[in-house]
Amino acid sequence: MKPLLLLRISALLLLVLLAGCWSRRELNTLAIQLGMGIDKSGDDYSMTVQVVDPSKVASRAGGSEGTPVALFEAKGMTVHEAARKMTETSPRRIYGAHIRVFVLGEELAREGIAKALDLQYRDSEERTDFLILIAKGGKAKDVLNVMTQLEKIPATKLYNSLIASSRAWAPSTMITLDQLVTALTADGTNPVITGVRVIGGKAESGGGMDNISKIEAPVKLKLAGLAVFRGDKLIGWLNEEESRGYNYITGNIKSSVGNLACPDGGRIALEVVRSDTKMKGKVENGKPVIDLALSYRLNVSDVECKINLEDPAVIKQLEDLSEARLLSLLKKTVDVMQHKFGVDNFGFSQAIYRADPKAWDRMKDQWDDLFPDLEVRYQVKAKIRWTSTAKNSFINDIKE
Amino acid sequence: MTIRLNEEARDSSHGLYTGLGANIMAIRAAIGNSPDLVVKELKWGGLWAGAVMYMDGMADTKAIADFVIQPLLTYDRDQSQAAVERGSQALTHLMQEVLEAGDIDKIADFDALLHALLSGSCILLLDHLTEGLRIGMGGIEERSVGEPITQTVIRGPMEAFTESFSTNTALIRRRLKDPNLWLEVRQIGAVTKTNVGVMYLCGIVNEGLVDEVRSRLDRIEIDGILESGYIEEMIQDKTLTPFPLLTNTERPDAVAAALLEGRVAIIVDGTPFVLLAPGLFVQYFQSVEDYYQRWDISTLLRLIRFMSFFIALLAPSFYIAVTTFHQEMLPTGLLISLAAQREGVPFPAFIEALLMEMTYEILREAGVRMPRTVGQAVSIVGTLVIGQAAVEAGIVSAGMVIIVSITAIASYVLPQVSMSITVRMIRFVLMGLAASFGLYGMLVGIIALFIHLCTLRSFGIPYMTPFAPLYVQDQKDTLFRLPWPLMKKRPSLLGRNNPVRQGDESSPVRGDTA
Repeated sequence: MKPLLLLRISALLLLVLLAGCWSRRELNTLAIQLGMGIDKSGDDYSMTVQVVDPSKVASRAGGSEGTPVALFEAKGMTVHEAARKMTETSPRRIYGAHIRVFVLGEELAREGIAKALDLQYRDSEERTDFLILIAKGGKAKDVLNVMTQLEKIPATKLYNSLIASSRAWAPSTMITLDQLVTALTADGTNPVITGVRVIGGKAESGGGMDNISKIEAPVKLKLAGLAVFRGDKLIGWLNEEESRGYNYITGNIKSSVGNLACPDGGRIALEVVRSDTKMKGKVENGKPVIDLALSYRLNVSDVECKINLEDPAVIKQLEDLSEARLLSLLKKTVDVMQHKFGVDNFGFSQAIYRADPKAWDRMKDQWDDLFPDLEVRYQVKAKIRWTSTAKNSFINDIKE
Repeated sequence: MTIRLNEEARDSSHGLYTGLGANIMAIRAAIGNSPDLVVKELKWGGLWAGAVMYMDGMADTKAIADFVIQPLLTYDRDQSQAAVERGSQALTHLMQEVLEAGDIDKIADFDALLHALLSGSCILLLDHLTEGLRIGMGGIEERSVGEPITQTVIRGPMEAFTESFSTNTALIRRRLKDPNLWLEVRQIGAVTKTNVGVMYLCGIVNEGLVDEVRSRLDRIEIDGILESGYIEEMIQDKTLTPFPLLTNTERPDAVAAALLEGRVAIIVDGTPFVLLAPGLFVQYFQSVEDYYQRWDISTLLRLIRFMSFFIALLAPSFYIAVTTFHQEMLPTGLLISLAAQREGVPFPAFIEALLMEMTYEILREAGVRMPRTVGQAVSIVGTLVIGQAAVEAGIVSAGMVIIVSITAIASYVLPQVSMSITVRMIRFVLMGLAASFGLYGMLVGIIALFIHLCTLRSFGIPYMTPFAPLYVQDQKDTLFRLPWPLMKKRPSLLGRNNPVRQGDESSPVRGDTA
């Protein structure tokens, strides 16, 4: 009995000593950080955090004045130093597990983002499910310094609109930290990151409650296409059209909308409801080739012209038109990537590697030279599934 | 060692005296001349004398007058002459031919006489005889059979046990009209001499279990047994455990069902709570109504009970652990909402929880103990203090009030109060662990709890049966309650003497023999 008792007591004591999570923090001692930005400031990093003030967000009508979030900034030689220096201005310790968006300034992005990511990647406290954005043509701090409507917390607004736009419109792409690191480290791949821009005025003027006290906020945040990286350095931007092309090629389309010219003038909009991209690589006569097979389904969603949708031939015609239009979009996007930027962000290299690993071994050192001349073969298949809840448009029946 | 009051003054373990006067004096002396002893002396001419005696209020006075005194006084003198000549045969003669009462037997021992007298029987003594008659004329005031108060059902019998031993056994026997329903009665308690009955269905019950119950009961030497709780603590397998090892019930149908499964009922005079042995962990989650309602809803309710058990046990500690250690586990929106509630709350979450739980426990205890007349006042103050004022004053957060409330409600879902008491106690330990070590501490506490549960036994049967050890065929009546056609056999450990309880064709639905 005695030795057993001793064993039990020591087990209890070990519990105290071995407890890895001896770090009790009450909720009201934390500054919950939802947005984080890193900019270059000379040789130092400048870190900006957007911290939520819970009592001003919670549903109960507080009526208290002031913004629901606070911004703190600190500079340091390394990111972590900057983060800790934050306590000089912030009354509470910054708690980073709930970051929704991580914004990197364009200047920093052009110099290389890798060094700025390690802290987030390494820290045990972080959840790595936040989304990464590039502040197009400005500083991360400016992006985090704008009040937004509907969503009280600007960081949440960025997070939600990035998700919504990539699901419904497809000019943006969601990338999380682990995906970004994979894209940076794998052979022959380069990341793309969605950009965000402050529009409508100076960022400084968008930081007050007055910015959202109007029906239309003067200063707004807008997603602005994809940033193309070579390695960890930003080299340029895709416009909206090319961004969508990029998402078609990488199979990132949940839903989108495109339009076609009707034969008799006017336009007809088609909603992409499902898109499936098959990217296959192969090596022919020592030269790499990519087969891109894209099949997608469409709904006729908006008819703004006179057209007889009850005629299967017309539907077929629409399908053909849509295919031709998408094909040109894909070609244009690949062309921009091959000749304007010369970097492979599509993952073509991975497709080649999967098809023929030995050939890839020979090619991988000269991939940057091979990529611009890479032959891409397209196969696009559209299928119009239905015409929503109407057949022919009432426009056909309007009496003149 | 036998326990006895007033060792010097009383030595009653001897036979009766020959003189009537001596016997009466001895009885008077034994009960300290208490005035509630009624002695009615009878005389037939100068032939012989006798006395009828009973305790006032414990015996039915009218019945004694009609069926004992009246026949004796109108008794024919010639015959009485003959009777007296027959000596001790006179008693047999009276017993068989004169007295108009059913429950009569002879008594020769002074100890037995006193016991019978104090149990409410009427005693008839005759002069010159060293024997007397005990006439069962018990007429003590009793509560009538009422509705169960602690174990209520929506559908099912609305009868509950009372304080009377004979009423209770009758309530059980009424449900099991089989000669194999056996009852053994013994008196336990040197002073209270409480009737304790052991009831079982011979042929179903495991003999070893009955022997074990008998030997544990026989070992008890105590001055008094006032409630079955005394017995429960004296015969359970382990004292140092928060878990109840015997179930108790005030429902005769629950006892009947338990007997049919091969359990043993221990009925204690003076309390409506009957003990059932053994008491296994799953049985604390079973209500008799599970078998009266359809199996599908019963299964759902069982699952809800198990869920409530874990909510009652873990909700406050989980809340503490997550909000003070593992904020990253919360969805962002919920975190912000909780953080907003906590703004301005001066105490750590643990103290806050402890404060609220203690307040609730105090209110609960007050609710049980307080005189009914002040109930209203206490409940108003309680609701206001615990619900509104504490939150509005910023002493506790609204989230904590919700947690404490759901915990409190969940703990009353369990059909057995003894198990919810256990849950309430362990909850505080887990809260302490959660406050010190987070989820890690909680997990260690839960593992320790389960190890403890697995070491427990109730009358030799592992407490966690049929989970550990696992009996697959017994799972039909644990987390789930399968339809009756699928429950053809009794629980394997309890009913192994006589496993089958249904005919193969007892339902038009084909079931397996599980």
